[in-house]
Amino acid sequence: MEIAIKNKTVKISPPATVQTGKVLLKRFFSSILTLFLLVSLLFILIRLSPGDPTQKFVSAQLSPELSQKIAEKFLLNEPLLEQYYAFLSNVIKGDLGISYNYKLPVLRVVWDYFSFTLVFALLSICLQLIFSFLLAIFVSQRKNKVLSWGISNLALFVYSIPAFVLGVLLIYLFSVTIDVFPISGLNSLNYDSLSFGGKILDQLWHLILPLITLSAAGTAMFYKYIKEGIDNVRNQTYILNLKASGLKEKVILKKHVIPNAASPLISVAGIELGVLLGGALITEVIFSLPGMGRLTVDSILSRDYPLIIGCVLTAGVVMILTNFLADIIKIKFDKRLFKGLLN
Amino acid sequence: MNHIKSRIYLLLIFPLLFTFCDSKTTNQNNQVVIGISADVQTFNPLFTFSVDEGAITELLYLSLFDFRWNEQKGGIDEYPMLAKSWKWADDSSSVLIILRDDAYWTDGRQINVDDVIFSFDAYSDPLVQSRLYGSFKNLFVDDENHIELKKTFKVISSFEFEVNFPPYSVPNLYELSLAIIPSHILEDTEREELSNSEYNFKPVTSGSYYLKKWDKNQNIILAANKNSFLYDEEMIDEIIFKVVPDYTSKILQVKKEEIDLLELVKVEDIEEIRSNENLNIVPVIGREYDYVGLNNIDPEDYSKGELTPNKFFGNKNVRKAISHAINKKEILNEYLLGFGELAATPVSPIFRNVYNDDIIPYEFDITKSKELLANDGWYDVDEDGILEKGGEEFSFNLYYPAGNPLREFASMRVRNNLKAVGIDVRLETLELGTLIDYLFEKKMDAWMAGWYVPIPVELKPYWYSDLDSTPLNFASYGNNQVDSLLDLLQTKISSEMKRETVIAFQKIINEDEPVAFLYWTPNICVYNKRIDQINITPLGTVTHCWEWRLQ
Repeated sequence: MEIAIKNKTVKISPPATVQTGKVLLKRFFSSILTLFLLVSLLFILIRLSPGDPTQKFVSAQLSPELSQKIAEKFLLNEPLLEQYYAFLSNVIKGDLGISYNYKLPVLRVVWDYFSFTLVFALLSICLQLIFSFLLAIFVSQRKNKVLSWGISNLALFVYSIPAFVLGVLLIYLFSVTIDVFPISGLNSLNYDSLSFGGKILDQLWHLILPLITLSAAGTAMFYKYIKEGIDNVRNQTYILNLKASGLKEKVILKKHVIPNAASPLISVAGIELGVLLGGALITEVIFSLPGMGRLTVDSILSRDYPLIIGCVLTAGVVMILTNFLADIIKIKFDKRLFKGLLN
Repeated sequence: MNHIKSRIYLLLIFPLLFTFCDSKTTNQNNQVVIGISADVQTFNPLFTFSVDEGAITELLYLSLFDFRWNEQKGGIDEYPMLAKSWKWADDSSSVLIILRDDAYWTDGRQINVDDVIFSFDAYSDPLVQSRLYGSFKNLFVDDENHIELKKTFKVISSFEFEVNFPPYSVPNLYELSLAIIPSHILEDTEREELSNSEYNFKPVTSGSYYLKKWDKNQNIILAANKNSFLYDEEMIDEIIFKVVPDYTSKILQVKKEEIDLLELVKVEDIEEIRSNENLNIVPVIGREYDYVGLNNIDPEDYSKGELTPNKFFGNKNVRKAISHAINKKEILNEYLLGFGELAATPVSPIFRNVYNDDIIPYEFDITKSKELLANDGWYDVDEDGILEKGGEEFSFNLYYPAGNPLREFASMRVRNNLKAVGIDVRLETLELGTLIDYLFEKKMDAWMAGWYVPIPVELKPYWYSDLDSTPLNFASYGNNQVDSLLDLLQTKISSEMKRETVIAFQKIINEDEPVAFLYWTPNICVYNKRIDQINITPLGTVTHCWEWRLQ
């Protein structure tokens, strides 16, 4: 807003709540546009790709009439534009259709798998952040160059190990050789006979190896980010000033170093959480876990069009939400970023 | 101080670990765990398309008849199940069936004729789109393939009815043996809604086992149905289907004896499995064969609606030359370590009664192969190592599906083998769905694929020349003599006549070699020796589980 006072133009910023509302609205519409483009592109791509969802209904033991009937039911014989129009109008109504394979509403199928992925991803991101923070702070406080060099290289090594190698290695060591963790699955055969606490412990016991597999690379990556951030901030003159003014090392670390070092990490953590919520295919397959990664790949392989779109839409929504969440957290840390976000 | 702290943490962590370890991953004495790769999508037999879904619903639901593999005759024998007895009319125009009066649904209701008729009606209803839709051509059906109930069924009492067959049909009990579903539960559900019904996940069943628990993508737990007439006290209490998509995990669990039974084990794992004396290995050969597909017609002309012979494989002598040039035995020995059997025709040796023993697979013979190619006019005129005819080089793409190591290995061997006779093969990988699409469109000259053979013998869908009615004839093979034999098999003929017809069919197929038949691949099953009375046959592995016992 601009007002003229005695031939001078003075800019007056709208109140903070108005600004926040504007930001939210802008982000909301850009997110909707992104999702619209995402599903439209996906719709075109999957229809252009070879393969047919009725393929599995064609065999010598199944009659050709059946695949015809099913193609009619799936509207696959309709013109592409009509299919697209029907699809879009249904998406707007919140109806993603019925999964060809599961014969259930897509949202219900997705929720069945997403609920596990949500817990799994949140546990993993927490582990990644906690361990990387603790390790970075531990190394920074020691000021031991050999230790720092060693852990940095170890982090690089861990980051380079593919999940399928690490997963199989962990299974071989801990499930086969010393037999302390289960090979796969989410719960034991006697799960129903366990107490409530026992059930939680049982699932945690099953999740330890998958969580290590899923979190190792992320922990290593976050460690590098945090360690670098802490080292950079520590070299700033204001930290030296704080030290010179006699502030305790712990207070400087807690109140000045960590918040400033964590700021760039939040965006990366937002993206990482979004990726994790989209599914961790390799870990899910190795450890037989019912997550979004497996559901997405299975739906693609079986050409379950509504389910493919449901899975990708979910991954898109969580990616946008986690990024938005990361932005809000970043503003909490540094108010100067608000302007950037507005733009 | 730090040492004390770390010891306190250790003290906290260790009891926790031991608490975890108290949970049971290994199977208990009254349970059998079967490893499967993917979860089921329904428990309603109307919609069970996968092998695992079929095996599970077979335990959950009763059919009118029970079928068992007869090793001697190489075919199936029928036994009573829900049908206590049956009697054919002298002219086979009808069969009188008497149901058991001691069969119940899990909700306590007695199974009767209404359930049977409702089941046939639902399976054939076009609105339901069941897995058997369109396959009741031996019964009275309307224009939409829906069974005409009044013409087909004559109800005599609650446990007695007659099935009538149209005059042109070839009735058999196998086609009448479908899993019976409960009419009192499903009759009020709209037919279009049956596929989306909650019933599909919480079924009321009648079989030897009932669905105790379904932990999605983890375990399917079936428990012995004590109200079933099949129940006895020695039956295994629980059959658990454990979903493990990763092959390595499955094998590790078999070795650790967490999984009791596993199918489709790779040959390279056999040696290690053999070292565990608690495990038994049973290879089942004869249900699936691999072949090099050779398009008998020109793909380009086909796309324009014309049927012309393929420039490479239109002549049977060229196809025979290719079969002679491929060293199938080498692939069998090197990759399948001798498990498997060379294939000569699409009729499996398991069908002993109709199998033609006189036919021998084409031998690996490069000289013979070159001779056959020369006879058809293929010479290396420019001496570049590749044969030519009419200025065109013998060079084509061989497509094989991604993610199938055996077919990838075999494709490479085929390329090398054919190079030795002057044929240039370019290998192309395709994602399986895309390959199937190309097969239906008959887009390819050559491909590497396999067929799973149905029981009983079924040949017409694959080898009949009318491509509109037989889309599975991917090679577009056509021979009038074969057509006549296949038509004859669809009529009422004696079993001896049927045997002679199938034997004659094999002779012609061997002479025409429509595709290069390679070998019968094994389904290697591993099971824990603690399971007793398990009978693994070509009919399946997870069948008749109510007869299994634990040692």
